[in-house]
Amino acid sequence: MIAVIASREVRSGLVTPLPWVLLGVGQVVLAWIFLQVIEDFSGLGAEERVASLTQEMTMNLFGFAAVIAMLAAPLLAMRMLSGEFRDGSFDLLDAAPVRLGQILVGKFVGLMVLLTPLCLLPAANILLLAGATEIDGGQVAAATLGLWLAALMFGAIGLHASSLTAQPGAAVLVAFGLLLFFSIVGRADALSTQSLSLFGWMSWNEHLFWFLLGAVRLGDLAYFILFTGFFLALTHRRLANRRLQ
Amino acid sequence: MPFGKRVPTGYLRVPMDTLVRVTDLSRSFGRHQVLSHVDLCLGTGQVLGLLGPNGAGKTTCLRLLGGMLAPTSGRIEILGVDLRRQPLEAKRHLGYLPERPPLYPELLVDEYLTYCARLRRIPRGGIAEAVKVARERCGLEDSGGRLIAKLSKGYRQRLGIAQAILHKPRLLILDEPTEGLDPFQMRELRGLIRDLANDAGIILSSHLLPEVQAVCDRVVILHQGRIQLDARMADGPPTNIWRVKLRERTNAERLTDLPHVVGAVAIGTGGFRIDLDREGTSADLARAIVEADLGLLELTPERSDLERVFFDLIGAEELT
Repeated sequence: MIAVIASREVRSGLVTPLPWVLLGVGQVVLAWIFLQVIEDFSGLGAEERVASLTQEMTMNLFGFAAVIAMLAAPLLAMRMLSGEFRDGSFDLLDAAPVRLGQILVGKFVGLMVLLTPLCLLPAANILLLAGATEIDGGQVAAATLGLWLAALMFGAIGLHASSLTAQPGAAVLVAFGLLLFFSIVGRADALSTQSLSLFGWMSWNEHLFWFLLGAVRLGDLAYFILFTGFFLALTHRRLANRRLQ
Repeated sequence: MPFGKRVPTGYLRVPMDTLVRVTDLSRSFGRHQVLSHVDLCLGTGQVLGLLGPNGAGKTTCLRLLGGMLAPTSGRIEILGVDLRRQPLEAKRHLGYLPERPPLYPELLVDEYLTYCARLRRIPRGGIAEAVKVARERCGLEDSGGRLIAKLSKGYRQRLGIAQAILHKPRLLILDEPTEGLDPFQMRELRGLIRDLANDAGIILSSHLLPEVQAVCDRVVILHQGRIQLDARMADGPPTNIWRVKLRERTNAERLTDLPHVVGAVAIGTGGFRIDLDREGTSADLARAIVEADLGLLELTPERSDLERVFFDLIGAEELT
């Protein structure tokens, strides 16, 4: 049943312009950054280069791709619950012999399938250099995994926001608010004299950073999976509560 | 009087094969009690019309029956399965058309129905046949390849009905099924409902009293969240009753002397309720009144019996 719901979401997603626009805009932005990194890197002498080309590429391309995914996930997710509440099409799922958990996971899988091409874009850009220079495949793979896990978390936050209201616009704003919070919460460390490591830990960019360096750490994996699970659980609870309200 | 004897709710004869049994169902939204102490039973072959003014709790009642809302108190059993404890098992027997058809405008009609068939757990081999049959029954034979976004309101409604009957449910819940349909489609839908009722029970809500009278064999009137009437509709002889308003002061006896008039009762100033025989028509009555020089001001058909009962129950304020 999860596959049935996910495939419908993907089908509906692909016939609307939104994922294509996001993918197109994402590629234009990444191509611009790609050219800039190449130009800066080739302009430096061998002794001036502090990091390898792969390192420069992953830090810049994947960093920006994460921001694009952060914008894309709420936009794609708003249609999935909030839009269905508004149009009344959620009633179809609600009256069908399907568990709420299956509905939720189906929609989440559909969202991830739509976000995955965006996560593969930076790697595809870097692989263009494969014939011309030496690329650290492991580091690119680790960065892609990190970006995909971050998109997983953004998607879960997007779905949660989407479950809160029948106004898709409001759902997007709530999701942006939550994602912005998780982006800047790490700055609390710098503002305070005391070390507030919890805030630093809560920030997704801190964890993605290690993936971009090529280090797949268990703690970072756990962070993304934990928050993804947390927001999916909140969404499930919200959907169950709708029947009681 | 085409209505059966009014019976206290909850004491209706329980059909042998009970499809739905609702016991003491209540639902409130915050402090607002929308539905209170509703008891209902429905068997195979029955078509139940749910009537009531806006805000009477009809849609809430149907959403509760469809498992989309949880009751504040009370119990719903579908084919003996508790909807709250075993929702998946209970919903297998359920077909539901909400107020707004639950459609995905970006899909084609066939894609949508195939998706619905999968959601309803129709075996893979039977999906194409189920989709074909549902399309045929709802007059969508030639619309399989059309985009839902391009369908007219009536066709969307048909598609909504098609998704509800796709899996041949034992219980069909239709919330305002005639909404957006033209008179031809309404007549077709009436036939379809009677056809479906051969092996299913149907609950439908409607604002159109004649529609309910034509298609339902039982009617429940809800008002302020309570069942005001739960009665069977007996097949009585058609009535031929008219209301007239006359300028000249006269009495009922004089009207009874007119051709085709069986009886006349005075209602208010210059108003009469006139019962014609089977052969008499409104034209005959009008001609007779004019020839008698009684000054005909108004000639209107008497409200149907269901309409009269409805207004009697809901209260005098709606009479205007």
